[in-house]
Amino acid sequence: MAMSFSLPLVKMQALHKSYADGAIQVLKGIDIEMKPGERVVVIGPSGGGKSTLLRVMMGLEKIDSGSVTFDGKPYISSGVKESKTVIDMSVRRSIGMVFQHYTLFPHLNVLQNLTLAPCKVRGEAKAKAQDRAQTLLERFGLGAKAKAYPAQLSGGQKQRVAIARALMLDPKLMLFDEVTSALDPELVGEVEQVILQLAAQNMPMMIVTHDMWFARNIASRVIFCAGGVVVEDGPPEQVLGSPKEERTKEFIDRVFHINQ
Amino acid sequence: MELDFSILSKFQYALRLGLWTTLKLTVICIVLGCALGFAVGLARTSRNIAVRAVSSAYVEFFRGTPVLVQLFWIFFCLPLMLGVELSNFTSGVVALTLYMGAITSETFRASLKSIGPEQFDACVALGLPRNVQVINVVLPQAVLRAIPTLLSNCVSLFKESALVSAVGMADLMFVGQNISNNTARPVEVLTVVALIYFVIAFPLTRAVSVIEARILRKLAI
Repeated sequence: MAMSFSLPLVKMQALHKSYADGAIQVLKGIDIEMKPGERVVVIGPSGGGKSTLLRVMMGLEKIDSGSVTFDGKPYISSGVKESKTVIDMSVRRSIGMVFQHYTLFPHLNVLQNLTLAPCKVRGEAKAKAQDRAQTLLERFGLGAKAKAYPAQLSGGQKQRVAIARALMLDPKLMLFDEVTSALDPELVGEVEQVILQLAAQNMPMMIVTHDMWFARNIASRVIFCAGGVVVEDGPPEQVLGSPKEERTKEFIDRVFHINQ
Repeated sequence: MELDFSILSKFQYALRLGLWTTLKLTVICIVLGCALGFAVGLARTSRNIAVRAVSSAYVEFFRGTPVLVQLFWIFFCLPLMLGVELSNFTSGVVALTLYMGAITSETFRASLKSIGPEQFDACVALGLPRNVQVINVVLPQAVLRAIPTLLSNCVSLFKESALVSAVGMADLMFVGQNISNNTARPVEVLTVVALIYFVIAFPLTRAVSVIEARILRKLAI
């Protein structure tokens, strides 16, 4: 039986973020609470702050104000001094991220891509890391590609390697930033299958995607983000099926119109 | 006109000595020049404006003046200004190292610049500490990307090194010129000297294209 009460895994409070010395406001006060085991899909128009939100969660972007706690511990806060963002590095290490453009290390083969961080960050023995890597690669249908270089892989294979690389560090939360946007249409499925496989194992995740089919299939919750604020937040049937907010409705109508 | 290449056999030893000087000078200046070039390449991307200004001035000066003028300046003006005697070989090493450093710094700067910001995103997402980022991610990619151009730089330096003959250094060119003057057989002697340069430089230029193709194919960078 599911617990009716559980502590939030992520708690974002009043996140503000701007570029160009405040000229462009990207996040205008984001409050999101995410429970363990939730799979939150963030949708919305380009420039609405979705990707920035994930990048802030990964500690890749400074914030103007606000805070994030992770697993009950303080993770990100805007420092006392202005333009200084305090990020707890040990917390950051329990979050993994996969990007739109794969970001594999081109000079390392697949196995080396997977083992670099475990060996260098955690001091894991090379043989042990390689064993774990091989197991993961086989699970993702990439067992034969361990010695290949990224340039010798298809986009779909690269993205699956990138996911495996992030999983090598046993993250407690995975962030997926438009991971299928750069892929040829026929390769999208194999990457989404891998993410669905993770979802089946209750991996908490935050996903930014434009693929509404995927959103509906994977989300336990959908957040519609526009203009730097959360416009609507609810179960996928509501947000994607019969949205309450006018702006969500417009967006969904437009996206499905394009898809048809 | 009759050609008689047999006269060269008498000067085999002198030519070999000259070639040895050329090779020694080239190799030393390649090693020192590349090290200097990498350091200057990094300095030119520094946040410190003074470091950037000094390194840029150095590079622009050496790229914007003839190597022959640089050689003459270091051979004749530098000892006067410093008040120390420099041996021919030392002066040659200093001059060509400074020249090579300026050229390779541009090569390294371009290769460092070509590493996209998303590589740094990946480093952060994987929690790689700064030293691991530099040693395992940035440096190998920068060097790999630079290798084809660096090899071309090395071939250029090998050929440019013939200029040191103009300041009286007994390199291959200098020896060849002397023999040709003494024997009054410029066609035979200078043809052979040119062939010696070619036989060494040509495989290197071929190697550049082979290595470039291999790196490009394997890493797609």
